[in-house]
Amino acid sequence: MATAKQLTAILENSSLAKAEQLRLAPRFRKTNRMRGEHLAGRGGSSTEFEDFRDYSPGDDTRYVDWNIFARLHRPYLKLYRHEEEMHIVLIIDASASMKFGEKFERARQLAALFAVMGLMNMEPVSIFALGSRNEATHQIKRLRGRTSFRKLFEFLENITPGGDAEIDYTIDAALRQHAGRGVVICLSDFLTFGRLDHAMSRLFGAGLEPWAIQLLSAEEYEPTLEQDARFVDSETGDTLDITAGGDLMGIYQQYRQALERELETVCRQRGGRALSFSSAQSVQQIMFETLRRKGWIR
Amino acid sequence: MSWPGFASLSAAWFLLLLAPLVIFYFLKLRRPRVEVSSLALWRQVISDSRVNSPFQKFQRNLLLLAQILLLLALVIAAMQPFWPASAQTARYLPVIIDVSASMEGVDRAGAVTRLELAKQEARKLIDGLMSDQQLSLIAASDSARRLTDFTNDQRVLRAALDQLTIAEATSKLEDAFRMAIALSRTVPVETVVLLSDGNVPPQLDLELPFRVSFQKLPAATANVGITEFNARRSRGAWDVFARVEASSGYTGLTQVEFFENGELRSSESLSLAPGAAERLVFRTTSAEITEVTLRLVPDSLDALASDNEAFLVTPQVRPLVVYCPPTMTTFRHALAAMGDTAIFPTESTPTPSSIDLVISDQLADAERDARVVVTVALLPADLEPLVLAGGDAEGSGLAEVTDWMRTDPLLRHVQLLDVQIGGAPVLKEGQSDRSVEAAGYQVVATAANGPLIVSRNAGGQIRYHILFPTDRSTLPFRVGFPILVANAVDLAMNLAGLNETKALRTGVLPPIALKPDTRYRIVGPVARELTAPANGELKLAKPATSASRSVATRTTEITTDEQGQLSGVAAPAVGTYQIFEGTTLVRQVGVALQSLQETSLFVQGDLRFAEAKVSAAEEKLSVETPLWRWFAWAALAFLLWEWWLFQKPPIPAKAQVAPR
Repeated sequence: MATAKQLTAILENSSLAKAEQLRLAPRFRKTNRMRGEHLAGRGGSSTEFEDFRDYSPGDDTRYVDWNIFARLHRPYLKLYRHEEEMHIVLIIDASASMKFGEKFERARQLAALFAVMGLMNMEPVSIFALGSRNEATHQIKRLRGRTSFRKLFEFLENITPGGDAEIDYTIDAALRQHAGRGVVICLSDFLTFGRLDHAMSRLFGAGLEPWAIQLLSAEEYEPTLEQDARFVDSETGDTLDITAGGDLMGIYQQYRQALERELETVCRQRGGRALSFSSAQSVQQIMFETLRRKGWIR
Repeated sequence: MSWPGFASLSAAWFLLLLAPLVIFYFLKLRRPRVEVSSLALWRQVISDSRVNSPFQKFQRNLLLLAQILLLLALVIAAMQPFWPASAQTARYLPVIIDVSASMEGVDRAGAVTRLELAKQEARKLIDGLMSDQQLSLIAASDSARRLTDFTNDQRVLRAALDQLTIAEATSKLEDAFRMAIALSRTVPVETVVLLSDGNVPPQLDLELPFRVSFQKLPAATANVGITEFNARRSRGAWDVFARVEASSGYTGLTQVEFFENGELRSSESLSLAPGAAERLVFRTTSAEITEVTLRLVPDSLDALASDNEAFLVTPQVRPLVVYCPPTMTTFRHALAAMGDTAIFPTESTPTPSSIDLVISDQLADAERDARVVVTVALLPADLEPLVLAGGDAEGSGLAEVTDWMRTDPLLRHVQLLDVQIGGAPVLKEGQSDRSVEAAGYQVVATAANGPLIVSRNAGGQIRYHILFPTDRSTLPFRVGFPILVANAVDLAMNLAGLNETKALRTGVLPPIALKPDTRYRIVGPVARELTAPANGELKLAKPATSASRSVATRTTEITTDEQGQLSGVAAPAVGTYQIFEGTTLVRQVGVALQSLQETSLFVQGDLRFAEAKVSAAEEKLSVETPLWRWFAWAALAFLLWEWWLFQKPPIPAKAQVAPR
């Protein structure tokens, strides 16, 4: 039996097909005035009726409801929902820390699925990825429509993790390249010495609703320490001596959970949302079960 | 308040090993490099105050802590810590352990004996022995036995203690204390420990150069036993008398069983009130040598088993064989008036080789082998330098008895006052009665000028020498004369065992007259063994029956002295002792405890010595408690802990796994 050719090595076609039927559900509609697939809150020119209002001098008479005028002898304007485009921005942390576990793999898969959702809804999709501070940002901007699938997948397949760029630096670098309102989805482990609130504020200031998906490896979720060890930071090369024993792991868990809560708080305060996942979970589990149940997508 | 001491303080130098231990620990600590995604979280964790709290820092080096504790425990154990006794420590400590019959007592069925309790106390002393202390164990019953020299070898002391068994004998502590006094002359002894149940003689005629720590063990109270057992000849058989005593704590019925040669002849039930006694009489049915056994079978708790049996061997019933020359008509007339005597020589019957009593004025007869020899008007050869015979003495007229020993067996109830004696012997010039005594004779009766009757006890044979011719005195005409002859007969019958016989007491048999310089084999019972059954409670073995007693026997061989005395035969157990010459049984004697002191279980509160009174210590003897074992165990525990710390798998922290 002939099998369908895989569109990308990142994901199975079935997952892509599933994603094609879904779309993002932002909490607030931050859209461009350009016409798009997203219905704006205010009146527009789509075919979907929204409301009536009194006629004001200067209004386009083409929108006067003549049937009502005939009955009431007063002109009322018929309003339609305005469909605007919502920019979907994907920021992928491609630093060395993402090499651990399946974090980077999971980030690419999620980025691909989110992008597919945007492209299938004719939204402009931009993707930024940065590994090292010394490198230029990998980016692909304003993809639109199904025809961009090949470009999208080629871009994602060619990103490799490595380097010392933390997520807040990557966000800054992306914002320097990006213009447009919409939703920004940050895929990272968010293990940074920088300040997440600042990074999220800049995203919010740029008109983007910040979504954060924290991906941690199983070892980061539930670390084990058999003996005293010297930890080496994969990004900076810094070392730290750790002595096993006591309630060290318990304290670690408290700090990890505090990071989760901080991420969620800074996102929520800026109209966004955040979730933390173990990279050991499958992308189907993350995307089609958890995110769908949480209302991130529909 | 007392503080722990250290017997080997110099071992504290080993504490210096702590320094290299800590140094090597940190030098050897090589942390493996582990690459992690980011140190962002870990830096926050490490800088947390909880991680850096002293306790947490302490926890982070648990392995080092375990090693330090292990070293400390080992060093302290090597320093031999001990908890000091309240009293000053004695360097040399003799320990007298009472092993008399009452120490086999139990206070309830299945309980441990007093001896076992004493052993437990002694073991505590041994366990608490410090390196500079030495112990000597002495077992005391009717005599004393030194179990060990002064030593601090706990193995030797424990082995000696384990082999210690009950001696079924009356407690006499003089020998043990004399032994301790002798020890105190060689080493400085400040205190002597006595472990006893208090069933000891109340008075000891000793002056002690040391303090006595009387550790009184809890005494048993309920007991019934035989305190006397003897037999008297009666009409061709033997009447056997026994006295059965109950202690103050005894209640119950006692079955009294009387055996002859192992066969049960009589069995009766005896009810004794607490502290009461009963005298019982049995009659043997045989005139031959009979082994008589009396056994008590109490129906309630009886602390001692050794006093429940008594053994006696009654001699064959026969007339006393007396040799008296026909010329001594007065003596023969007196002898003929007595029953149960066979007087020789006679015309019809030849004189037997074994004679019990010889009364003669012939020198040849004086040499006959008999138990009692009475010579008349014969001066022993060894007295000739001291005494002139009556016929040879100048001016030896009539003499009168000036003094005589009224308690002597021959002269008991004999009145010699006003007896006129012709031909009385006279002491030679410069000699006195003391000279006679120095020659080995006892002056039984004396006149103004010299001894009249002398006696000598030689090799189990009693010889009386009446130094004057009785037919030249008024003695035959006095009432005292037949009494004197009857006394001689009684004495001979007693020595021959024809009149009465008594069960001997345990301990050491009295000297027995046998052939001189002959080796004899003595077969006797062994002391009851303390057996340890599976349930761990010590019980006394069931008293052996007469038949089975031969199985549990002990054989010793002793040679008689030149006078034919077999002496020094140990009789530590109740039973019958048989004396063999080769394979021929020549004598057997019954031995019983027969001790009112032991049977009554009366407990002395105090020991009275010549100059002091020793009360039983109210507190247990305080010994120095060695603590090194605890530290050795702690070291082992720390070692196991360290091993566990080293080997234990990491404990993963509880994580809240997404999704939420």
